[in-house]
Amino acid sequence: MTTRVLTRSVPSFRFAWQTTSVSIAPLEVAQLDLATARPWVTIVWNDPINLMTYVTFVFQDYFGYDKAKAEKLMLDVHDKGRAVVSSGSREEMERDVAAMHSYGLWATTQRDDA
Amino acid sequence: MFKRTLRGKVILNLTQDERNLLVDLYRQMQDLLESPQVPENSDPLARLVGLEGPTESPSDPAVARLFPVAYLDDEIAAADFRRYTEPDLRSEKLSNLGLVAQLLQSDTEKLELSEQQSNAWLRSLNDLRLVLGTRIGVGEDYREEENDDPGFHLYDYLTYLQGSLIDAL
Repeated sequence: MTTRVLTRSVPSFRFAWQTTSVSIAPLEVAQLDLATARPWVTIVWNDPINLMTYVTFVFQDYFGYDKAKAEKLMLDVHDKGRAVVSSGSREEMERDVAAMHSYGLWATTQRDDA
Repeated sequence: MFKRTLRGKVILNLTQDERNLLVDLYRQMQDLLESPQVPENSDPLARLVGLEGPTESPSDPAVARLFPVAYLDDEIAAADFRRYTEPDLRSEKLSNLGLVAQLLQSDTEKLELSEQQSNAWLRSLNDLRLVLGTRIGVGEDYREEENDDPGFHLYDYLTYLQGSLIDAL
């Protein structure tokens, strides 16, 4: 999937009175900087069916987290109802979300609101 | 149940009764997953080559649990994500079911599983628990319930089986 927000190109334009070429590229760069400052996150949500041991196993198996980190995230999901399990570009997060769905966990992605 | 040998192999030991029960459940899962809810008006060629998936959650809540929403705050992104990922996820789930169904045909009580086979067991058993759990309405207070419904006994059995596999891995 393409990231529509980030890859949309800004059409270059010139005012009729301009004799020299003026690019508005710096604006685009500024928007990109703003976007990368707030990365995307993958959130796993609590559900009553997935076993706690299974959720821990998935975090170790897919993300390669050690047991302590995987258990901490699992407990966050269980106690707080959700946990941010990874962050990065939108494409990376969509991959992580699809992987979580493949394990049967309910995951969503959004911009980091923290 | 599943066990891990000293040499690190995963062994599956099921009685004939357990195998019969699981064969039946896996067949029901296959039926559930083989009825894709593709919109009538989608491009027939795209549908044929599996390019275009659905944009809305499956109408059956138990099936919908297997194909969750990926974006809570963006309906268009959620529909796009579903369109591009659901067909692959559906065929992955079906192929896991197929692999396990094949193993269940075996007459031997003890089977040594490859990594791919334990992986197919792990995910498909979990899918089965998600579907059954949704059907019988498992909630956060599930453990406190004293329920004699056969669905709950079956759910407990699948939980036990899944637990033994996680321990073995």
